[in-house]
Amino acid sequence: MSPRQPSRTATLARLGFAEAARAEQLLGDRALAGLVDPFDDEFSDGLPDALGDTADPDLALLSLVRLMESVRADEPRRRDSEADPEGSLSGLVAALRHAGAARDRLLAVLGASTALADHLVAHPEHWRDVTEARTLTTQERVDHLTGAVREPGGLTAYDALRVAYRRELLGIAAIDLTSDGPTATLPDTAEALADLAEAALEAALVIARAELGEKADTCRLAVIGMGKTGGRELNYVSDVDVIFVAEPADGADETTALAAATALATHLMRACSTSTAHGVLWPVDAALRPEGKQGPLVRTVASHRAYYERWAKTWEFQALLKARAVAGDRQLAREYLDAVSPLVWQAASRENFVEDVQAMRRRVEQHVPPAEADRQLKLGPGGLRDVEFSVQLLQLVHGRADDSLRSGTTLEALDALAVGGYVGRDDAAALDESYRFLRTLEHRIQLFRLRRTHLMPTADPDLRRLGRGLGYRSEAEVEVVTRWQQQAREVRRIHERLFYRPLLAAVARLSTSEARLGPEAARERLAALGFRDPAGAIRHLEALTSGVSRRAAIQRTLLPVMLGWFADEADPDGGLLAFRKVSEDLGSTHWYLRLLRDEGSAAERLAHTLARSRYAADLLMGAPEAVAVLGESAGLAPRPREDLLRRMTAAAARKDDPERAVQAARSVRRHELFRIAVADLTGQLDLRGVGHALTDVTEALVEASLDVAQRAVAESHGGELATSLLVVGMGRLGGAEVGYGSDADVMFVHEPRAGASEEEAQAQALEVVQELRRLLASQGPDPHLGIDADLRPEGKSGPLVRSLDSYRSYYARWSLTWESQALLRARPIAGDEDLGRRFLELVDPLRWPEKGLGPREVREIRRLKARMEAERLPRAADPKTHFKLGRGGLSDVEWTVQLVQMCHAHEVPALRTTSTLEALQAAVDAELLDPAHAEDLRAAWTLASRMRNASVLFRGRPVDSVPSDLRVADGVGRIMGMDPGSGAELADLYRRFARRARAVVEMDFYDAS
Amino acid sequence: MDRQQEFVLRTIEERDIRFVRLWFTDVLGTLKSVAVAPAELEGAFAEGIGFDGSAIEGFARVYEADMLAKPDPATFQVLPWRGESPGTARMFCDIALPDGTPAKADPRHVLQRALGKAADLGFTFYTHPEIEFFLLEQGFRPGERPEPVDNAGYFDHVPHGTGHDFRRAAITMLESMGISVEFSHHEGAPGQNEIDLRYADALSTADNIMTFRTVIKEVALEQGIFASFMPKPFAEFPGSGMHTHMSLFDGESNAFYEAGAPYQLSKVGRQFIAGLLRHGAEITAVTNQWVNSYKRLWGGGEAPAHLTWGHNNRSAMVRVPMYKPAKGQSSRVELRTLDSACNPYLAFAVILAAGLKGIEEDYELPAETEDDVWGLTGSERRAMGIEPLPATLHEAIAVMERSELVADTLGEHVFDFFLRNKRAEWDDYRGEITPFELKRYLPGL
Repeated sequence: MSPRQPSRTATLARLGFAEAARAEQLLGDRALAGLVDPFDDEFSDGLPDALGDTADPDLALLSLVRLMESVRADEPRRRDSEADPEGSLSGLVAALRHAGAARDRLLAVLGASTALADHLVAHPEHWRDVTEARTLTTQERVDHLTGAVREPGGLTAYDALRVAYRRELLGIAAIDLTSDGPTATLPDTAEALADLAEAALEAALVIARAELGEKADTCRLAVIGMGKTGGRELNYVSDVDVIFVAEPADGADETTALAAATALATHLMRACSTSTAHGVLWPVDAALRPEGKQGPLVRTVASHRAYYERWAKTWEFQALLKARAVAGDRQLAREYLDAVSPLVWQAASRENFVEDVQAMRRRVEQHVPPAEADRQLKLGPGGLRDVEFSVQLLQLVHGRADDSLRSGTTLEALDALAVGGYVGRDDAAALDESYRFLRTLEHRIQLFRLRRTHLMPTADPDLRRLGRGLGYRSEAEVEVVTRWQQQAREVRRIHERLFYRPLLAAVARLSTSEARLGPEAARERLAALGFRDPAGAIRHLEALTSGVSRRAAIQRTLLPVMLGWFADEADPDGGLLAFRKVSEDLGSTHWYLRLLRDEGSAAERLAHTLARSRYAADLLMGAPEAVAVLGESAGLAPRPREDLLRRMTAAAARKDDPERAVQAARSVRRHELFRIAVADLTGQLDLRGVGHALTDVTEALVEASLDVAQRAVAESHGGELATSLLVVGMGRLGGAEVGYGSDADVMFVHEPRAGASEEEAQAQALEVVQELRRLLASQGPDPHLGIDADLRPEGKSGPLVRSLDSYRSYYARWSLTWESQALLRARPIAGDEDLGRRFLELVDPLRWPEKGLGPREVREIRRLKARMEAERLPRAADPKTHFKLGRGGLSDVEWTVQLVQMCHAHEVPALRTTSTLEALQAAVDAELLDPAHAEDLRAAWTLASRMRNASVLFRGRPVDSVPSDLRVADGVGRIMGMDPGSGAELADLYRRFARRARAVVEMDFYDAS
Repeated sequence: MDRQQEFVLRTIEERDIRFVRLWFTDVLGTLKSVAVAPAELEGAFAEGIGFDGSAIEGFARVYEADMLAKPDPATFQVLPWRGESPGTARMFCDIALPDGTPAKADPRHVLQRALGKAADLGFTFYTHPEIEFFLLEQGFRPGERPEPVDNAGYFDHVPHGTGHDFRRAAITMLESMGISVEFSHHEGAPGQNEIDLRYADALSTADNIMTFRTVIKEVALEQGIFASFMPKPFAEFPGSGMHTHMSLFDGESNAFYEAGAPYQLSKVGRQFIAGLLRHGAEITAVTNQWVNSYKRLWGGGEAPAHLTWGHNNRSAMVRVPMYKPAKGQSSRVELRTLDSACNPYLAFAVILAAGLKGIEEDYELPAETEDDVWGLTGSERRAMGIEPLPATLHEAIAVMERSELVADTLGEHVFDFFLRNKRAEWDDYRGEITPFELKRYLPGL
């Protein structure tokens, strides 16, 4: 063993070889004889150092050995032939022996792409295409490729095309890989790749014409490049998007000509996408054509124009933005472009433009397989597709009035947008840099095996190659990931940068040094983003950002992001207005600004809530300080009843005057309602949770107010009340299933204290109840809470409050079946607990009668229900969509369940519940209802309850029927978790569920078979 | 303004059109027309013409009545029967709500939705109806027997017959309106005629049927006679059906065709028929929507009253017609229940939905029926598993009420309106004292 060897290995390791020992062995391979100089180490300019400069020295070395073996094996035969008179070997050896561009290029290609190395090994005579690579014109590339397929030598035309294509690719890669700044040359590389694709299509057309023979002469065919091909910004490996245009040749019949053109196009596509022994170019994708894959492959210019005029969707115009002639009949292509290009710029004024754009945006953001989400370079929020899409969208919106924006190339368009002031200069520059970086990563990843992929690799060697290729030397695999994530973070803020920040610049009038979005452009942009009243939005923005206050400064930074959140919701205008009001009320308070700035999700939650729910916005505008719940940790968990009661009582106790005391308690309610609404809107509470939470607030408020009323009446009577009071919750309140718009259904019970006279007790009880109702009915800070006592004995004509004894004697003598039925949901909610217990003892035998119901009583309930259906529905209401009283509505379901309860609760204890859903489940468990029927009932009841809640949240006031206004329906649908834009489905959805429930009601309640 | 619209406006100018009729169809299949002056047309293209939807059967209730009719310029036609100059023209309309979204009550939209669903599966739906109708003398009075214009039979050529002139005039007029007519002959009953519309996609066909019915009535009036599409005007003669041939195309190729399969009928074709049979009873209220329709269905002869299929079996509900060698594109199935008085938009929509359901859920096609179903006894039919179609509108309603398929296809709004309207029709009918009762009961009881 020679003493120099260990240091040699170390040297190689230092140079960047991962497997230095193996590298040393390979360097000694016979194939490299004459390339390695013993003095290399002394001068640091020999082959090992040059290999060390490549992205993957090990790969470069191995490939080099393979290449040289191949060259030497070929040499004798080649020397005899005329093909390479100067002799390949000597030239190649000379190039590799000396430091210089030729060697660097060759090694760079070998060290970056196994696919291109394979090509060189198979075609060593192509080495000069690497070493002598230069930027070619499109025409030169077309000549090379068409020449190759016209004289394919010993190959088939398909194979000749593939070989010639890769040969060109060698040159492009050589220049790309050895440039000083790969991101700087990115546009040139992408352009060269697009030119090469153009040449390949032209050559494929030559093949197709040859295959088709004379028939091909009946038509003129033009190939229009779309997507990245059209934009002259192609990847190394990507689908090539095209559209075909054809016209009959002079004198030819149109039908024959179009059939020939279709055949020609099919052959052309096959020539590119067929896999042969020499590989494949890329799939040619013609799916962007009118009618997509359903449509004919070729159309005439007139047919294209007719389609775009009548049928095309917004995304198709967006695609047309990139249309460019790439192959075939140039004159025809020009006619086509002249016909359709003007239409692109009218797209923004078409109906549904805004809706389409929003749907497209969502598609861009959602279309990522979850497993790949964190490795994607192309799809997903902030991916390359998102950048391209966003730039194109701005082109469509502003390009109508400004034709400087009409470039098909992403980076050129971005630059033009910055020059015109449509995007901030700094933002455009940052985005430009990120885009180039991400594209470069994509290029290098694809180049390695010439595979179409947009995923970051995960294996260290792959990452290392990627990092070294970008010039990182120490810990390249870590550095490249860090840099990537940093850039991806930048890009993820693209909507803020591109769409919203320029709007702020337009209104805030800050720096005057650069071009700004003009007022008209700002309005167009806001409208395109979904604001219905752009002028109003601009006024709000001006108000929010003008001035030098700290608030204005913070809002100027925040608003670009917040505008995006507003625009994601159903009512962006409402959201912005509410934000302005809240902000004007709270703007100078310290905690509010800190909340917005520092709490992370607080500002986001606020923006979404305000633009989503009028109900929440109204609550907040009345009591801006409630915004604090957004920043509290665990701030969205509803407070339990005791907690609320304590707060309300404490708040009430601080006021002497009963009215002000109850107002104070109601402020607590308002605060809590906001909390519940936000929790509901953000999906943290389900229907049951909302029902419980709203029930708790209602109960606490009634309890606290009863307390105030009792004290007030007691005071006026000298300190002591002659009776104790009880409030019994009925209906949804009793069932703990309260909705946002629900009134509180109650009954009032009292019991004279020992020794008090009955008349006095009754008089005082009535006074308390009336005071309670007065206090709760007055105008207050919170939404109105109606107290409805109509379910009491004798209904509206009966006394408002009765003593327990009076209830007892009434029920003993008069009780009607419907009154017993109403008692099914009776539950004491406030007042004397012991009295509550005894009240229940009194009513239990009524609501759960010992032997169930007799046929006469069942008939009576059915008749009453039938009459209610005919009479109770308000005059203008639609029986198909009225939540409560409509067919298959809440009442239908509840009565069906209640009938089962009254008939069977005596024998099935689980039926003794005030909750509709629990009773329904108990009925199924006891086999009293068919499970499928019960499911229909449950589904309809749940949907009606959720839809009613969502409607109140959206509109801010009680709603009785499925909204028929589509905009409202859309907002309601979104709150219910439906996709945006599905408002039209809402009524259909409701009616389907209600129809099924109604069929069950007919069978199980009315007993129709 | 696009070129189609410009073309329409220019034509109106050049041909001196004084009125443009905007056509649409109510839920029951009656053609509705709003006339506008040419000056209003530009606005109609841009925003639609407002009208009161509550005035149209099944469209809307009073408080949500505002609707817009948006003319489809591609359907522009000068109406040939109003004299040459000054003329009248027509366009079909899509119905929209004030915010521009399609109205759920618009039958055209119902069909468009069903076709959209087929397109999602990669299919286009083609239909070819054979429309039968009666030509009668004018001056019919309730209580009297209507008078046919002639007394000829099947394929008879009636020299100088009224029907002959009539057909020539009608065909000329239809062709001048861009509707291709494939074949016409004299049907099996006095005064009965049949005209076949050429194969086209289902939406165009439905539009054409609406135009066709109007043209036929118009030509009849011009000739001093009267045309009726009533399914069964004479107890003793066959009724007027609308046998409809249909096929699904998958791109350029006929999805019903498979070389070498029995009757050259592909799996898709078999599943489609299986869907028609399994859901046949549910959709009958739509395909045969009148009280009178069931008198044709159950009138014997060639009328199909049972859920069967067969090859060249003229009593089967679904017939697989004779296969023409080397014409793979012509593979099709013929549904024989439809009558000429259906709403073609809704009928095609539910038929398509039933067939697609068979494809999606991979229904098994039951055995072919080779016998004449009417020749079998009730027990034989039971033994063979042959189910009857609903015998009355009342039965048809009851089956449809429970159909998720029909509800889904029509949409809840049309579904609900249709059922309510049909229940009311049945109630009205039940309240009638018929000549049958008077003849049979009055003297004897």
